[in-house]
Amino acid sequence: MNKRCILSVRDLHVVFRLRNRKLHALRGVNLDVYEGETIAIVGESGSGKSVLNKNFIGLLDNNGRITGGSIRYYPRIWEHLGREKDRGEDEQGEYVELAGLGRSKNWRGIRGGQVCMIPQDPMTSLNPLKTIGWQLTEALKLNRGLRGQQAYDEAIRLLEDVQIDNPEERYWQYPHEFSGGMRQRVVIAIAIACNPRILICDEPTTALDVTIQAQVLQLIREVKEKYGLTVIFITHDLGVVANVADRVAVMYAGEIVEIGRTEEVFFKPQHPYTWALLSSLPQLGTKGEDLLAIRGTPPNLFKEITGDAFAPRNPDAMLIEHLAEPPVFEVSPTHSARTWRLDPRAPESKPPRPIRKLKKLGGERDA
Amino acid sequence: MNKSRLKRIGRGIRAKLRVLLSPAMLLYILKRLLRSLLTLILIMTIVFCLSRLMPVEGYYKNADKMTPEMKQAVRDQLGLDDNIFVQLGNFYGRLLRGDLGTSYVYRQNKPVWDILKDKLPISIRLGSMAIVLSMILGIPMGTLMARFKNKIPDHMGTGFIVLIQAVPMVVFCLFIKLFGYQWLGLKATQLFSNWTWEYWILPVITLSLGNTAYYAMWIRRYMVDEGNKDYVSLARIKGAGEGRIMFRHIFRNAFVPMVQYIPSSFLNTVVGSIYVEAYFSVPGMGGLLVDVIKKQDNAMILGIVLIYACVGIIGLILGDLLMVLLDPRISLAKKRGGAA
Repeated sequence: MNKRCILSVRDLHVVFRLRNRKLHALRGVNLDVYEGETIAIVGESGSGKSVLNKNFIGLLDNNGRITGGSIRYYPRIWEHLGREKDRGEDEQGEYVELAGLGRSKNWRGIRGGQVCMIPQDPMTSLNPLKTIGWQLTEALKLNRGLRGQQAYDEAIRLLEDVQIDNPEERYWQYPHEFSGGMRQRVVIAIAIACNPRILICDEPTTALDVTIQAQVLQLIREVKEKYGLTVIFITHDLGVVANVADRVAVMYAGEIVEIGRTEEVFFKPQHPYTWALLSSLPQLGTKGEDLLAIRGTPPNLFKEITGDAFAPRNPDAMLIEHLAEPPVFEVSPTHSARTWRLDPRAPESKPPRPIRKLKKLGGERDA
Repeated sequence: MNKSRLKRIGRGIRAKLRVLLSPAMLLYILKRLLRSLLTLILIMTIVFCLSRLMPVEGYYKNADKMTPEMKQAVRDQLGLDDNIFVQLGNFYGRLLRGDLGTSYVYRQNKPVWDILKDKLPISIRLGSMAIVLSMILGIPMGTLMARFKNKIPDHMGTGFIVLIQAVPMVVFCLFIKLFGYQWLGLKATQLFSNWTWEYWILPVITLSLGNTAYYAMWIRRYMVDEGNKDYVSLARIKGAGEGRIMFRHIFRNAFVPMVQYIPSSFLNTVVGSIYVEAYFSVPGMGGLLVDVIKKQDNAMILGIVLIYACVGIIGLILGDLLMVLLDPRISLAKKRGGAA
C-alpha cells in the first residue's frame, strides 16, 4: 500500500456526558484512510461508527468531547487550512489536527470543502422551504465562490451528473416534489458541489427501498471515480460492503476490532465478532438450519470494559478474553485484528461452519 | 446584483403570484369567505338571542317612576313584545340594508354606525400600530433567545415573557402610566389628539407588550425546534456558518408554524384594547362593549360584536394565506386525483 494517507486517526477517545454520567463512546480508535480508496466501517448500532465519522467533520454533539488522541488530515500540498497552531508536519506531509479544532468557526474551509458527508435520511435532509436549486447553489457559493449564471450552469451540470432528468425544470422545484431516491441524488449533488476530497456516506441507502439502493450505490461509485474522491462508507449492511468497499473496518463497542482488505475480512476473518457478524448473513446459512443470531446485547459503555469487549457474548471465549484487553495482531501487512485468538499461545480454535464455508470459497477464488 | 439574479428573484415572485392568483386559489378564497359569512350569521344570531335573555326591566331607565303605559311605550319602541323570530328577522332585514339600528341608551336615538364610525379608525390605528410594534420587538427577541439558547439573553427573555404573561395587563397598565410619563418627560394630562406621537406612544407600547411576549415565546420555540432538524446539519456540512443557518435556513421555517398565532394575536389586541383604551382615555371602541352590555343597549352590542367578529375572521383568513405564501408544500387547491 504505497498510497498517500489522507486521514490518520490515532488512539481516539470520545466521551459523552449524559445525565452526569460518562459514556465512553470511542475507546482508542486507530485508523488510516488512504487517498482514493473506499473504506467501509461496519458494526451494529451503537458501536461508534457514526460518532467516529462526526469527528472528521466537526459535528460531534454538544455533550461529546474528544478526550484523547489525534485526527490528522493531510490536505493537498499547496493548501494551508486551519489556524497556525492546528498545523503540523510529519513524514506524510503537512497536516491539520482536526481533534483540536473544537468550535465550528475553526472548521471553515475544511467542513464541506475538504470533508463532506451524505446524511442518512434524504427525506429530512433537505430544507423543505427552499428550492433544490437554491440549496445546490448555496453549496457552490460557500465552497467555490460561484455566483449568478455561473452557479446556475454548474448546478444544472451537477444535477445532470447525478442523473436527474430535466434539470432546468427540477432546479426550481421543492424537495416535496422529489421521491426518496431522487432526494438522495440531490443530496449527493450537494455534497459534490462542495468539491470535497473525502466523502463520508452515513448509511446512505438505509432509508431507501432495495431497488433504489442499488442505483444509489452505483451512483456513489460513479461519482467517486469521476471526482477522484476518497469514500468512507458507514453501514451495517455487509452486502453493501462487499459491493463497494476496498477495505473494511469492523467496529465493536467503540473500537476497531478488525481491519483489512475486503476479501481478507470476508474470506479470512479473525475476530470472533467478525465471525459472528458474517455467520448471521442469510446468504451463508444452510437450508433447514436456524440462522445464527448474536446472543446478548452490546456492552454498556457507561461502565469500564475489561478484557475483550465481545467476550461476554462469545460462547467460546477464553478466560484471558474476559480479563485482559487484547493487543492488535497483524495477520498480513494490510490485515490486523484485536483478539487473543491470534496470540501464538492461544489454542487452535475452530470458527463456526459458515466461516469455514467462506474460507473454502476464498481458497477456491485464490486458486 | 447582476441580471441573472434579478431574473431569478423575478421568477420567484411570479411563482408566488401564480400560486395566489390561480383559479383554484381564488375559488378557495371565495369558498372561505362564504363559510365565514355563515360563521358570522351564527355568531350574530347567538349574541342576538343572548341579549334578549336579559331581564326586560333593564330597559326601563327609571323603573319605579314609570307608569305601565310608559313601560309599554319603551317595549314597543324596541320591539320587545314581538316573537323572537320576528325580532331576528327585523334585525337581519335592517342589517341587509346596511342599518345597524339606533342606540337606545349610550347615545339616545343616534344611529349605531354614526357612533362607531368615529371610534373605529382610532381603535384600528392603535391596534395595528401595537401589532406592528410587537412584531418588530418580539420576533428579533425570540430569534436572539434561540440563537443564545440557555445563555443570558435567553434567560432574560424568558423572565420578560413570564412577567408579561403572569402579571395581569391592568397592573402594568398602571405602572406604565405612572412612570412612563415621567421618564419620557410628557405631561400626564395630555388630551387626546389624533396626530401627536406623545399621545400614542404609551398606549401602543402597553398594548404591544402582551403580543411581544407571545411572538418571542413562539418564535424561540419553533426556531429551537427547527435547529434540531436534519436539514440544518446538511447546511452545516455544506460549510454554512451559524449566522447563515440561523437567518437563511431556520428563521423562515420557524415562521411558518408561527403564522397560525397571528389570528389569535389580533384577538389579543382587541381584548387588550379594552383596558388600554380605558386607562389612557383613548376614545376608541375598546371599553365600549362592556359598557353597552351593562347598559343593555342591544343595537350597540350587536354592532360592536359584528366588528370584532369580522376582525377575527379576517385574521384567520390572512393567517392561512400567509401560510400558503411561505410554505410551498401547502396548497389549498385540491389536486387532481386527490381524495375529495
